[in-house]
Amino acid sequence: MNQKWTMWLGGVLLAAVIAAALYFPALRRQVNKAKDLTEKTAEQARRELLPVAPVSTGDPMVKVNMFWGSRGQEGELVPVVVELPLARDPVLRAKQVLNTLLAGPVDAESRTLPPDAALLAFYILPDGTGIADFSDEIRTSIPSGIQSEQLAVESILRTLEANVPQVLRLKILIHGQEADTLAGHVDLTQLFRVNAKDAAGTQLDNPSPPGSKLPAPIRRAVDTVRRATKR
Amino acid sequence: MVLDPAHGGTDPGARGTEGISESDEVLQFAFATKRALEAQGFQVILTREGNDDPSFDDRSARANAQRGAVFITMHIASTGLTGTARVYVEPDAPATKNIAGLIPWDRAQAPFLSLSRKLGDLVQQELSKRFKGSPDTLQTAPVRQLRTTAAPAIAVEISSVVVKERVELDRMVPGVAEAIARGLVEFRPTYVVPSNSAPGGSVQP
Repeated sequence: MNQKWTMWLGGVLLAAVIAAALYFPALRRQVNKAKDLTEKTAEQARRELLPVAPVSTGDPMVKVNMFWGSRGQEGELVPVVVELPLARDPVLRAKQVLNTLLAGPVDAESRTLPPDAALLAFYILPDGTGIADFSDEIRTSIPSGIQSEQLAVESILRTLEANVPQVLRLKILIHGQEADTLAGHVDLTQLFRVNAKDAAGTQLDNPSPPGSKLPAPIRRAVDTVRRATKR
Repeated sequence: MVLDPAHGGTDPGARGTEGISESDEVLQFAFATKRALEAQGFQVILTREGNDDPSFDDRSARANAQRGAVFITMHIASTGLTGTARVYVEPDAPATKNIAGLIPWDRAQAPFLSLSRKLGDLVQQELSKRFKGSPDTLQTAPVRQLRTTAAPAIAVEISSVVVKERVELDRMVPGVAEAIARGLVEFRPTYVVPSNSAPGGSVQP
């Protein structure tokens, strides 16, 4: 009798262990999902409050070139044709293409920007200077290195050049602030030349330590971005 | 020769497998390169020898305070084909105004760009001989550390901290040191301090 009970108990325990082993991965997935939902960062919450680039559904679908990393040639960018309902307004258009760039290519290995980074704001000044303000993740989640940071910046510049001709040069801000570097390597104090029409040679023409020496129109725009991101 | 092992202190740089951090590993490359350069008769200064993190400007200042210096900042990426190395120089910059022999600190690299390219080409050729898959020619990138350096200046980036075993990275140390030393030996006879550059210590803050 005792032996029969022991076998029966052992069988029940074994079944319980197998059931638990089968259920555990599903339970872990559920816990992680719940954690993701509850641990919403301040950055994500703020991003939701900021107006996102509207999808101009009335605009016709247009084939645009997005510049993502090449799988075959390391450190190179390749144009990838994507269809978008591209707005006529250059600011909306810039937001659309940069958000598409951030969303990434089908092949994740060709991504040039971190998947959790977001475009917080985009402005174009009357002189053709674009100002792109990205969330902190563009610096905290990007793979560290000169090559990866250079590729990230180049993909932004080439994508704007191909699709928003009104942007002649670009200032990159992070969370409404000027940054010395993207993630410790590539210099963000300068204006990057976007369009060959910008013959003034702005790249390295206006390098400045964060918080000083920016031309007045850009300084005003930076202050506007700062005020917006502090709200 | 001013060798700059990048990052340090609270900034570990790239983080890889087996607890490898760029700031620690790059010191090994810098120490080995120092020994290889000293064997060729160069005087070598490191911008850091321990786990501290001088500012970009402090690192540049080590080279800017001396006439006839050469500056190499050393990095290890978290991407790229393992076992390869790339040399970067600053992109072309507009001509700088040289008033009373001074050049602006923010554009200190501008008068040295052609020399930096020459040095970069020589070092990249040596690296590509030793590390298969490395590019044959140097790359350009606006590397922050280079912009404020008033000397021929290059960045050497090694791939990568993401290796199966630490030994893969350690195996690259002698080759990188030797390549840099060979490149410098070839560069030395061609190095004439540009007349439009500031004399030692006269870089305008």
